[in-house]
Amino acid sequence: MSSSSSSSSPSCPKKMITLKSSDGETFEIEEIAALQSKTLESMIDENCASTPVPLPNITGKILAKVVEYCTKHAEVGADAESLRAWDAEFVSVDHPTLFDYILAANFLEIPTLLNLACQSVADMVKGKTPDEIHKIFNIKSTFTPEEEEELRRENQWAFD
Amino acid sequence: MATDDPPSHNWLDLPREIATTILLKLGAVEILTTAQRVCTSWRSICADPAMWRSIDMRNTGDLSGMDHDLVAMCRHAVDRSHGGCVDINIEYFGTDELLKYTTDRCNHIRRLRLVCCNNISDEGLCEAATKLPLLEVLELSYCSFSKEALETIGQCCPLLKSFKLNSQGYRYTHMECDDEAQAIAKNMHGLRHLQLFGNKMTNEGLKAILDSCPHLEHLDLRRCFNVNIGGNLGKRCTEQIKDLRRPYDPTDDYEFDATIHDEESFDDDYPSGFSDIDFSDYDNYYEFSDYDDYSVYGFLYD
Repeated sequence: MSSSSSSSSPSCPKKMITLKSSDGETFEIEEIAALQSKTLESMIDENCASTPVPLPNITGKILAKVVEYCTKHAEVGADAESLRAWDAEFVSVDHPTLFDYILAANFLEIPTLLNLACQSVADMVKGKTPDEIHKIFNIKSTFTPEEEEELRRENQWAFD
Repeated sequence: MATDDPPSHNWLDLPREIATTILLKLGAVEILTTAQRVCTSWRSICADPAMWRSIDMRNTGDLSGMDHDLVAMCRHAVDRSHGGCVDINIEYFGTDELLKYTTDRCNHIRRLRLVCCNNISDEGLCEAATKLPLLEVLELSYCSFSKEALETIGQCCPLLKSFKLNSQGYRYTHMECDDEAQAIAKNMHGLRHLQLFGNKMTNEGLKAILDSCPHLEHLDLRRCFNVNIGGNLGKRCTEQIKDLRRPYDPTDDYEFDATIHDEESFDDDYPSGFSDIDFSDYDNYYEFSDYDDYSVYGFLYD
């Protein structure tokens, strides 16, 4: 059955660590998948990951997805093309979820997930006008008239 | 629960460095024309010199249809970096003056990418090279610099680890030229990554590179139709190179258009245009096609 020794023998079962979300849910993740998180990696190195790791910033809903991401990306022999497709599917989510992915990836220091989610947001901004961006992201333009004037003056590269 | 709860996510609450990461992915043109006009928060991020450590002037290449003077815009981007630019990408519109403007002000450039910069001369590039002592990553794709320029770069940039010199692939069986390969072999000993798509070199050029670049791990020889990787040379390549792309390997992950031009379709020695080069896949900008080791780009994440 499971062993707590750190033997590297191939017959040893996979090492798992347990993560605990802000709302008390626990998730098991293979250690090798967890290593994609620099935060978890250093905890594992310092032997702090034997009891459930509390993640007060991340809800169960999001943590489940993060575990899924790390597990998928730890698979060996994954075809690059199908992984890209899987990633695209992974970030086809509503804005609040995407936002939470970004914060979770930032907190757990998972550079690939952070990059993927940020790229997804950038793709939503690309090719849009400021007004369209205001609507998509529910942002208000907060410029003073002086700032608007400054912006106009700065546009010296525009052809009139 | 109230039906009109405020949104749980306010995009403006994202940490500044994450917002910077997102906006950087837009490229300099969109940052200047759009992102900085959205709100004061984004404007502040776009005015921060940190935003301009990396200047990506990607564009559609349709300069006549463009509303903006890209050279002026790029100069402005360089100004905003306050000398801190370490990474710059110029496509279709570079000039000697712009290159000089940039290298005069930014002394720590580590990555330079010039694609289709037909207005940058050998002299301009050589002069710039003397101000790029920290250069680690260089791409000169679909430009036409001489072997002397490559020699100068090699001599001025001892830290060069990655070099891409991509051209249109031609099946000219009689057009062989090892000049570029020899220039690389003689002057770029520190290379770990080399991409020579569509090069006219022969096995001699390849041998020279293998002899002189002991740290080479990634070598892309796709469309180098004068290279014949069989027998001992093939074996040597496989032993020495971790990630090898052979002349006839698939090109679906190649960044540019991989169309081959055959002898029969041309009278001229040189390509007549780049209209069929497709620059629309920008996803690979910070990544080589299969180069998973991001340690070369460590400096970009400082």
